[in-house]
Amino acid sequence: MRWNPITSREEALTHLETVAIPHPWRRSIGLLDDDDDEDRSIGYISIFPGSGDDRSRANVGYILAAEYWGQGIVTAALRIAVSTVFADLPEVVRLQALVEIEHRASQRVLEKAGFLREGLLRKYGYCKGEIRDLFIYSLLSTDQRRI
Amino acid sequence: MDPEVKNSNFSEIITLRPLEVSDVDNLMVWASDERVARFCPWEPNTKREQGLDFIINRAIPHPWLRAICLNGKPIGSISVTKNSGNDACRGEIGYNLAWEHWGKGIATKAVKMAVKAVFEEWGPELERVEGLVDVENVGSQRVLEKAGFYREGLLRRYVVFKGRSRDMVMFSILCSDVENCSL
Repeated sequence: MRWNPITSREEALTHLETVAIPHPWRRSIGLLDDDDDEDRSIGYISIFPGSGDDRSRANVGYILAAEYWGQGIVTAALRIAVSTVFADLPEVVRLQALVEIEHRASQRVLEKAGFLREGLLRKYGYCKGEIRDLFIYSLLSTDQRRI
Repeated sequence: MDPEVKNSNFSEIITLRPLEVSDVDNLMVWASDERVARFCPWEPNTKREQGLDFIINRAIPHPWLRAICLNGKPIGSISVTKNSGNDACRGEIGYNLAWEHWGKGIATKAVKMAVKAVFEEWGPELERVEGLVDVENVGSQRVLEKAGFYREGLLRRYVVFKGRSRDMVMFSILCSDVENCSL
């Protein structure tokens, strides 16, 4: 993740108001509990299209509360997102994701959702103060997708 | 032995310098050529005013753009564009060369000179220079390979221009790849 953990309710509200809600395509991953009438958000998936000449390409990001890791939730959510995002953002033909080498779980999520690993981009970007090598994955609007 | 020296006239010297308004007629030689524009996002220039507009409004204000000169005469241009924020560690290279000068190793030499210059000028902040080349542009892929870039992968439908999606090959060179890198 590129941003530092949020540690207070105020920071969370600010993040929601200034980043999450105005975002072009962000969907909460909702969990329906037996006890609740509504689902509660346990994470989200974001799609960031580029602008201008780069608007055919969109970056994918996702986050899930740690207590729910390891159950295939993000994979399922990503498959659902992928099935609708190309219709919602018709100019986008390519989804891509950048993943650190150590994040095997994240790489598996993308692979199970049908993304193809295209290569390793050396010293591609800063992540929390360090320049990192990142794998690049992509899924095209023309790729076959399993839902 | 460097193949460029072997194949070229020893009196031919390649230099890089900023573009000036007075370069416009030389610029039009390559900027109006369809063969040069083929893998670029822009259409060939048809009017001198377009060349002037490029020099005044794009080339001169650009953070790093140089004319590629052969014995002092501009025969192409080369630029490195830097990013900001989290992406400031990388720059993207691009170049154009007049068609009559293709195949002589000139672009390779200009790329090597530009890479060395930007790593020196942008110091420790710049770690990576990358180049994105259309998968069909085999000539430019060879230029970057000969200039010491690594081919990292094929990015499918990476960009759209002139009405269609392009698969682009990603190349990169790191400061640590360049000989005598001072960092």
